[in-house]
This record gives sequence, structure tokens and C-alpha cells, in this order.
Amino acid sequence: MVIKMPKIVKQFSIAGKFSLVFIVLVCFIAIFAPMLTKYPWNQPTGASLEPPGKAHILGTDDLGIDLWAQICHGARNSIVVGIGTAVIACFLGTLLGVVSGYYQGVADLVITALIDILTSIPSLPIMVVTGAFFGPSIKNIILILSILSWAVPARIIRSKIISAKQETYIKVAEGYGAGFFYITYRHFLPQIFPISLISFIKLISRAIVSEASLSFLGLGDPTSKSWGLILNYALNFPGIYFTDYWKWWIIYPLLCIILLVLATATVGREFEKILDAKID
Amino acid sequence: MLKVEILSVTYSGDGQETHAVSEVSFILEQGQSMGIIGESGSGKTTLGLAIMGILRPTAKITGTIEYNKINLRELSQRQLDMYRWKHIAMVFQNGLDILNPLMTVNEQIKECIIRHTKIKSHDADSRVKELLGQVGLGTSVADSLPHQLSGGMRQKVLIAMALACDPKVLIVDEPTSSLDAVSKEEIIELLAYLQHQKRFVMIVISHDFSVITRLTDKMCVMYRGHILEEGLTRDILENPLHPYTRGLINSSPSLNPYQDLWGIPRASEAATEEGCSFYPRCNQKEDICKSQKPKLKYASLERKVACNQGGIITLLKARGINKTYSFKGNKICACKDCHMSIRAGEIIALIGQSGSGKTTLASILSGYLEPESGNIEFLGQTIKQHEFTSQLRGIQMVFQDPFSSINEQFTVLQAVKEPLDILKLYNTDERTAMVKQALADVELACDNTFLNRRCFTLSGGQRQRVAIARSLVLKPRLLIADEISSMLDPSTQANILRLLKGLQNALGFAMIYITHDLDIARKIADKLYIMHKGEIVETGPARKVFDNPKSEYARKLISKNS
Repeated sequence: MVIKMPKIVKQFSIAGKFSLVFIVLVCFIAIFAPMLTKYPWNQPTGASLEPPGKAHILGTDDLGIDLWAQICHGARNSIVVGIGTAVIACFLGTLLGVVSGYYQGVADLVITALIDILTSIPSLPIMVVTGAFFGPSIKNIILILSILSWAVPARIIRSKIISAKQETYIKVAEGYGAGFFYITYRHFLPQIFPISLISFIKLISRAIVSEASLSFLGLGDPTSKSWGLILNYALNFPGIYFTDYWKWWIIYPLLCIILLVLATATVGREFEKILDAKID
Repeated sequence: MLKVEILSVTYSGDGQETHAVSEVSFILEQGQSMGIIGESGSGKTTLGLAIMGILRPTAKITGTIEYNKINLRELSQRQLDMYRWKHIAMVFQNGLDILNPLMTVNEQIKECIIRHTKIKSHDADSRVKELLGQVGLGTSVADSLPHQLSGGMRQKVLIAMALACDPKVLIVDEPTSSLDAVSKEEIIELLAYLQHQKRFVMIVISHDFSVITRLTDKMCVMYRGHILEEGLTRDILENPLHPYTRGLINSSPSLNPYQDLWGIPRASEAATEEGCSFYPRCNQKEDICKSQKPKLKYASLERKVACNQGGIITLLKARGINKTYSFKGNKICACKDCHMSIRAGEIIALIGQSGSGKTTLASILSGYLEPESGNIEFLGQTIKQHEFTSQLRGIQMVFQDPFSSINEQFTVLQAVKEPLDILKLYNTDERTAMVKQALADVELACDNTFLNRRCFTLSGGQRQRVAIARSLVLKPRLLIADEISSMLDPSTQANILRLLKGLQNALGFAMIYITHDLDIARKIADKLYIMHKGEIVETGPARKVFDNPKSEYARKLISKNS
């Protein structure tokens, strides 16, 4: 399945291809941030609230820190949180979904109950509460977001496993003495790979938005810069709308968040459209 | 009257020793008739010649041949001559050169009479005519030369010659081997009549079951000089205890009118001196059979078998199987007190309509399903869940739906290799070799292109063959085929059935074939089990059940079919 990726990507629409390029660009910026920025992201290097110009491409914020540098470093946060959460949540969701679908019985009851609870809780308020409780740090954010997000993929995967388990070839493999790990690795994983992949991508966009929201609300890590945090500071500036400063201080971080989330959502939809034909 | 004890005959020639007869013993009283059956080269004729004492001088004989308490082997040639023909006579194997082509029939028979009795020449003529009349030939035959007679007439002349001196023991060697059906019938009737009338001991040597059935009460089966089974003729035909005997009976079209002809597979390796002579062709061979020569032992009253494992072994024995499904308060009794036993190399057809519980019973027997009560033993060990499907030389099952029994995303190689992968047997190269062998057995391609094809590109018939190949890889002793061809078209069905029967013949496993089709069951089954509403209503040898069903349901089923 993984080898087929390049072939699948070729089938994307134009919007999909652009989105993929944009995501790759953001990752590139995040990795090579120090080399792309002239100025540091945490020290004032110019006059405060300078409009975009030759020296500072996107202008500066109220402390005189280059906005472009802040955005480049902020990209790191977004990518790390996004991918980190997606990886953990996807892994947890797949594992628990397979376990509850395969073993059924008590394990299934417990895990289904957990899924039901987690999907019925409104996530943002809980995130805010737990964020406030455990204190702001990237690790905490990733942890909280993962715990609240594994339920959705788990439920989908569980139902797929329950139907796959009815097939005779699973019974035959068990007859030969195959255990849980063999059956999961050889028979189940190839079938749920498309579902996992799509869940993964959707989780990325969700995580980026959630992180931005948390930072925006002031629960993000104040020592590192993230796009939401930039927005937070911008909107807390008194009289931001009465001046021209919002034209660069708010617009650019906001644009970045919106574009990244749109891009991941588009890529997710493209995968879904193509792989859906294969998930019969 | 005639007692043979541990008789062995060895021919030596070209520096090699051939053990034509090995330690044969039997006892015959007056009026008894015994048949000796076996394939060419089993030593039957040598045995007859040994009893007559007319083997070549180069043949080494050990053991005793007692006639009326006199050991014939201790006599000189002159003394033996007194017994020969007068007391013990032989009807030789018919052929154009068995009679002297230059002497008339009269002269040849007279020669015997003059040689062995005191009758004078002119009296002998009338005796010859009397003899010819006894065998149903006209007196004009007396003046004919052998080439002027038909095969049947020549055989009668040979019989007349043997009876010339009124022997007490008659050895008949292949009396009907080159005769047409009418002559065959005449000869058999003649011999039966003569034996009944004159009450001599008759030893009939033949490879034809119909001859032995009609003429003998006892019979023994010879293979490469050894007696493998001995007992009453009727008992042996109904219930053979040695794999060789069963193979011979299954190869006989007169005893198996419906089934296709399947012989015993030829030997793939040579037999060892110390081991059982049937070892290379046996389908239940064990290591002990290679090193230990089996002795002819009593297996039951009036039956002796020479087998290291005591004859055909019982593979599976199930008693009192019960299984009930509860669904929303309704109880469906899928199996009610079912008993079943399967011997090695046997084919059982389990017949029943949909919903009669066949698949449930099969799943329980193989270990895929747990019964509520009952005891199942495979080779003496109780079956516990997947114990015997997950080992070599155990039980394997082929399921009804080929689309669901193989993961269609797998390649052919992966699908067939799966049991070896799960059980971690052999290394990678050996596994691939075994897969190729299994695919060749089921008549599929075994080149690399085919091995790398995904199973969703295969048709139903091909997938079913792949499923069969997968079950063969673990070399099962018992294969359960659950309606494997019901989802296929008739042509594919016929091909798969033939394939399965061929594999069963070559590899020697036992098979439970589940079907609702009586015609197919008649074609392949040795034994029949008929199920109705969870109960086994009838069981028995296939021919018996089809000819004479006892239970009402079976009668309805069979009459509706015919």
C-alpha cells in the first residue's frame, strides 16, 4: 500500500496538488527556519510595529521582533504539534480499535464505553480546562489533544475489524495457530491502512487548529512562539483595530493558519476520494 | 490334509537373490478350497510349483510341506513321483505352449495316466474319453492337436489332465486369465461342480476377484512373496484389514461398478530387506515399517494380518457429539448424539440436505468448533481446539466458499505458504519449494509469474485449487472437504473432484467429503453417513447403503435420486 502512494498522488486534482506543495513548503520552512530568517525570533531587532518593508519583510510586532522570523519558528510548533498528535492519536486509535474488534467481549465493552464518552464530551472546553489545569507546554498540549482525538478513528476501525473477522480466512489462520499479532499484521493492517491514513491527515488539521485555539486563548507555551500565540498578543494589543498594525500583525499569522489547515483538509479529502474506491 | 509351514523359495541368478516366497504357512483340510490372490510377481505360481515339487534345481527351498503327515520335502524325486499327479495335481497356466503341439490330446492325457497309474494303454483310451466327458468336451476332441482347440477347450483339457489320476489336492493356476466371459463362466462352474462332487482340496491361484469369490471359502493375499492377509473370502471382501487388500478391491471393476478405476500407486522407493515389503506403496507408513518386518498375526477370529500397525488404523473416532445453537430464545439442535469413525485412506461421504448439521459436525471434528458434549479422538489423542489443524500430518479442512476462505489481497505464494509461515516451519527456500510442489499437485502453474499473482485475479475454481494446495502443504492425514464444489460450475466441479480423488490415491490421506449430491457420493465414497436434522440416520459401506437402505429417510433420498 505504501508503495502505491506516488501513484495515488498523481491522481490528485489541481487543488490537491497545490495543497500538497504548500504543506511540503511549510515543513521545509519549519525545518530550515534559522537559515531563512535574517533576524532572531525572540529579540527585538527593529522599531516596534514597523510596516512590511525592505528590512523586515512582514513587519514587526509591538516589541520590534521580526514577524517573518516569528512565523517561521511558529511553523515548527504547528508541525510538531500537528504531526505529533496525529501520530499518537492514530496509533492509539488503531490499536484500541483492532483490540476491541478482534477480542470483543470485556475489552470491547470497556473500549466502546470510552469511545462513547470521549466523543460525547465537547472537546474545546475540556481542552481549555485541562490546559489550564496541567499548565501550558507543548508536551501537555500534544498529550491532551491525543487523548481527546483517538476515539474517532478507533470507532471506524473497530467496525471494519468486526466485519473483517467474519471472513473464513481468519478462521483458517487461527486454525493454523495464528495469534493476534500475525492476524493483525498480515490480514487487518493492509485493509485498514487507507482508513488510518485518512484519519491521520484529518487529525493533523484538527490538531493544528486546536493548538492555535489554545495558544490564542492564552494557554499555549509562552516561551515558544506559535501562530496562535502571535494572534493572541496581537488581539490583546489595545486598539489594534483602530490602527493599521493589524494589516500585517494579524493578517499574516491568520493567513498561515487558515492556509495550512485548508491544505491538510484538502489533501485528506483527495486521499479519501481515491482510496474510498479501494475500501469496498 | 495339506500343511505348509514357513515355506520360503529363493531363486539365485546373476549373483542376485530373489525371494519369491517368504515364510508362507497354511493348513487345508479335505474339501476346503483356498484362493491366493496377488499381482504378477507375488510368488503365487512359485508356491504352487513348490508344493508340486517341480521347481528348478537352482531354487533354494526351506520349510516343510506336509501331505497327510508326510514331509514331501524329505522325499527323493522317485518317491515324490508317486505323490505327484496321483495325490497332488496342478492345472497349469493356460498358454499355447503348455501342451505339446505335436501330440494329440488323447496321447498327452494317456501319458499322464500311464506314467502315474497302473492302467494299461488300451484301458487308458476309455479313461481319457471318460475324463473329457467329465469336463464337458466331446470325444472328438481326443484326436485333435492343441492348436486346433480354442482357449476354453485347451483349459478344459488341462483340467482333464490334472484330474486324470483322481488327485486329492488340486492346484489351479490362473484358470480364466485369457478367456472370454462365456468360457470363463463355464470354467468356473466346472471347477465348482468338480470340487463339490469330488471333495478334493483346491487351491485357486488368480488375480481375479470374481474367480476367487465363486470358488473359495478361504483366501490369502500375497505380495512379493509374503502373505499380507488371510481369512474367510466373504469377510475379507466386505472388510479388508490390510491397505494392500483394500487397494486391490478398490481396483476391481466388478466389485466397484460406479467408481472410477484407481490402482495402488506405484512404489516411489525400493523396499528394504528388514522392513515391510509393502512399505513403499503403503499410505499409512510409519518409520517402524521401514525397519521391522511384520508377522502374520491374528487380528480377529479367523483373520490374520501382517502389518506393523495391525492393519488399517482408525484415524478419527467421535462419540456422542452434541451441539445446540441458541438464537433469541430458539434452540436449534445442529448435532444430536453423532458417532463417526474414519480409517486411514478411507473416503467417507457425509450426505444431508441444507441445515442438517453437516458443516457443524465437520467443524467440530476438525476442531474449529467446540461441541457441548462428546469425545473426539484423533490417533488416540483427544482433539482440543486447533491442536491438529496446526501441525503436520494432522487434519485439514477445505471450505465451501473459495472467495471467503482466502484473503484476496494475498499473492498465491503468500496464500499457500501461510500455514508454514504461521508455524515457522522450514526455511524460506524450502517453503517456496513446498508451495510449488503443492501447486503442481493441484494442477496449477508454478512459475514465478503465477506465484506473484494476487488472488483477486483468480476465478472461483482456481481459488478452490489454491485452497486445496494450502491444505496439502501440511501433509494432512485427514482432509475434510465441505461442499467444496457446490459453488462451481459442473465442469469445474468434475475437474476438482477428479483432482481430489487423484490426490487421495497418490498421497493416501483419508477424506470426509460433505455433499448433498448422491451421485457424486456414489462415485467416490467407500463409506456413507447420512444426516437428517442433526442425527446420523444411516451409515455403512457405500454399496450396501445404496443397494439396501435401511432407514426411512435414506430410502426416500435414494429412491428419489434413482
